[in-house]
Amino acid sequence: MSSYSERIKNFEKIRAYMREFYVYGFKSRDDYQTKSARSYDDERRRLESWLGDHMSFVRTPEGKTVFLSIDSRTIRHNPLYSAWKTRSFTDGDITLHFLLFDILNEPSVRKTVTEILREIDENYLAGFETPMMFDESTVRKKLREYADEGIILMEKEGRKVYYRRAADTDLSGLTDVLHYFSETAPCGVIGSFILDKVNTDTDAFTFKHHYITSAIDSGVLAALFTAMREKRAVEITNLSRRKDQPRCNRIVPLRIFISVQSGRQHLLAYLPEYNHFQSYRVDYLSNVRLKEPTPRFDELREELERIQSKMWGVSIQRHKWNEESLEHVEFTIHVEDDEDFIVRRLEREKRIGTVEKLDEHTYRFSADVYDSSELIPWIRTFICRIVQMDFSHRARENQFKEDLEAMYRMYGIGTEEGK
Amino acid sequence: MIFSELYSAYYNTIAAIITEILERETSEKALQKIIAERAFGESALTILPTLKSEKWQLVHPDMTTPLGHIPTMPLTFLQKQWLKAVSLDPRVKLFGVEFPDLDDVPPLFTPDDYYVYDKYSDGDPFEDEEYIRQFRIILDAIRRQTQIKFEMVNRKGATMFVRCRPVRLEYSEKDDKFRMITAGWRTVSTVNLAKIQSCAHYSGDKQVSGEEKSVQHKTITVKLIDERNALERFMLHFAHFEKQAEKLDRKTYLVKIRYVQDDETEMVIRILSFGPMAEVLEPESFRKLIIEKLKKQKNCGLK
Repeated sequence: MSSYSERIKNFEKIRAYMREFYVYGFKSRDDYQTKSARSYDDERRRLESWLGDHMSFVRTPEGKTVFLSIDSRTIRHNPLYSAWKTRSFTDGDITLHFLLFDILNEPSVRKTVTEILREIDENYLAGFETPMMFDESTVRKKLREYADEGIILMEKEGRKVYYRRAADTDLSGLTDVLHYFSETAPCGVIGSFILDKVNTDTDAFTFKHHYITSAIDSGVLAALFTAMREKRAVEITNLSRRKDQPRCNRIVPLRIFISVQSGRQHLLAYLPEYNHFQSYRVDYLSNVRLKEPTPRFDELREELERIQSKMWGVSIQRHKWNEESLEHVEFTIHVEDDEDFIVRRLEREKRIGTVEKLDEHTYRFSADVYDSSELIPWIRTFICRIVQMDFSHRARENQFKEDLEAMYRMYGIGTEEGK
Repeated sequence: MIFSELYSAYYNTIAAIITEILERETSEKALQKIIAERAFGESALTILPTLKSEKWQLVHPDMTTPLGHIPTMPLTFLQKQWLKAVSLDPRVKLFGVEFPDLDDVPPLFTPDDYYVYDKYSDGDPFEDEEYIRQFRIILDAIRRQTQIKFEMVNRKGATMFVRCRPVRLEYSEKDDKFRMITAGWRTVSTVNLAKIQSCAHYSGDKQVSGEEKSVQHKTITVKLIDERNALERFMLHFAHFEKQAEKLDRKTYLVKIRYVQDDETEMVIRILSFGPMAEVLEPESFRKLIIEKLKKQKNCGLK
């Protein structure tokens, strides 16, 4: 029976729990039916260890409910980054790591594996009661692994291979940059890794409307960025909440669409097998496998550029190459004399489309989009001033109006409460 | 690979422990403090006992080390790639810093690889020279805890001359704007950077007293009906608040959200955007704000 450790080997296991605890937070232990009770207990304990103060719980008739509650406006750094700093390692890994960099303590020092091994045995481990034993292949494998990470350089001279540490990077002056971009740039957790290396004084930034959830998808995101840079297709595993079984797709990743109003991230991709573009929730994706480069990447991205001008959000309704099916959206609002800010809202919040002034008090927004349902939440924010609507998708317009009627009933408009 | 022990809190903590041992005569208490600061809640149960047991042969039981140098590690390829990507962001000009030589490093991503599709279009002019100059003055004053004086036009169109101590800069990704949070300014504590017309360090003798104003919080209780994927959309949308959810039955949830009182107008329209799937139950004052909007809408004659 393996014992509990706060360190983990597989990030994917904890990813789902973090989302459940942070985003939802109402499930009790019994609700996690697909996992074993022990697995739940271990993951909950780990999160409590990593995120301490941010974890809360309540007792309900169904049992103890554990949740993560964080007002991201009050924190300077994303606490979920901690989860990325929990990777497990062996006793040999950690010992060898510090010994190697102590031996190769500056870039001018270069040594062969045999020389390194001799130093380890004679200068470092000999003083311990039961010295660890490293063989040459273990040390060579670790050095190669580090060469792949870019922290060790390999130099071949004849039949000998010399190893030296890579040069240090001057990070002085970058503290503010690191504080700011580790919270606002994609894969900000990597900035947090760098911040861990520098002595920082108090940082100057806080963040409003700050979605921290995407931090747990940084591994997938970094792999997708790598695929885009190398213009490669990928195989991905996609497990949407609407499906029970994960599906494996071969796709060409083209661009990440980030929402700063919903906290969601989507991948826009091309599916060669079906000849269409599709969006995927990044938090539903896992196990990104890089495949062969695709010569069509630039052409596909150009087409996405064109498509993008008709997308309100991320929906393209399984848009096929060379097929255009657009929906017209139009709504008109009334503004009072002192309500210029409403007109400014229309202008700054519209992502595509046009705003027309019809008269001193009336403005009309119109656009042609792939999926008009994506505009509904935004149009609802103008409730109290919508005087006219015209959707080519009639069912959507009717749904909007039925929803309004439902809201009137819900809040008792026309009854005693809403008089 | 992002999930690597090279970036782990344990490796960083061990590096700090070895540094402490090499730099001064230390105590177990001092090492426990390092662990508490740099690692996790239960790490204290593991790190020192494992070091002392010689499982990690880096520190002898008498708390000496065979290592001769302060542990450091060069930046990984991934870290350099991320730095390179950041150096391509237009906002980096705000900081006026020289990036290290990363010529041979491809960026992890470029501005072409991602698209923030719903940020507002009237964000701050991050590449405007005067804006950059003012940003740096404010950032410097925050660092040095000194005062600035600036000029701005208020909502009524009147020019104001203000002296204050900037405390921090708050950035909103949705608005794509910076706000300066101040101390020692009686009337206002927050000002949008883009509204500042001129700004300079204050070198006079007058001192400002007082700290940053504390904000007032309120809590709303929302009944959520999980139709059209509302539960997931709602919980993600309000994820950045302190909140607590409870399941009432198969489709109904109760969610309490704590928000800053100054943001009430924004909260009202955010709740409205969920239509009949979200009903505010409490407080009555918030419910009334929604009812007012709905009553006005009913009179708009939308057919």
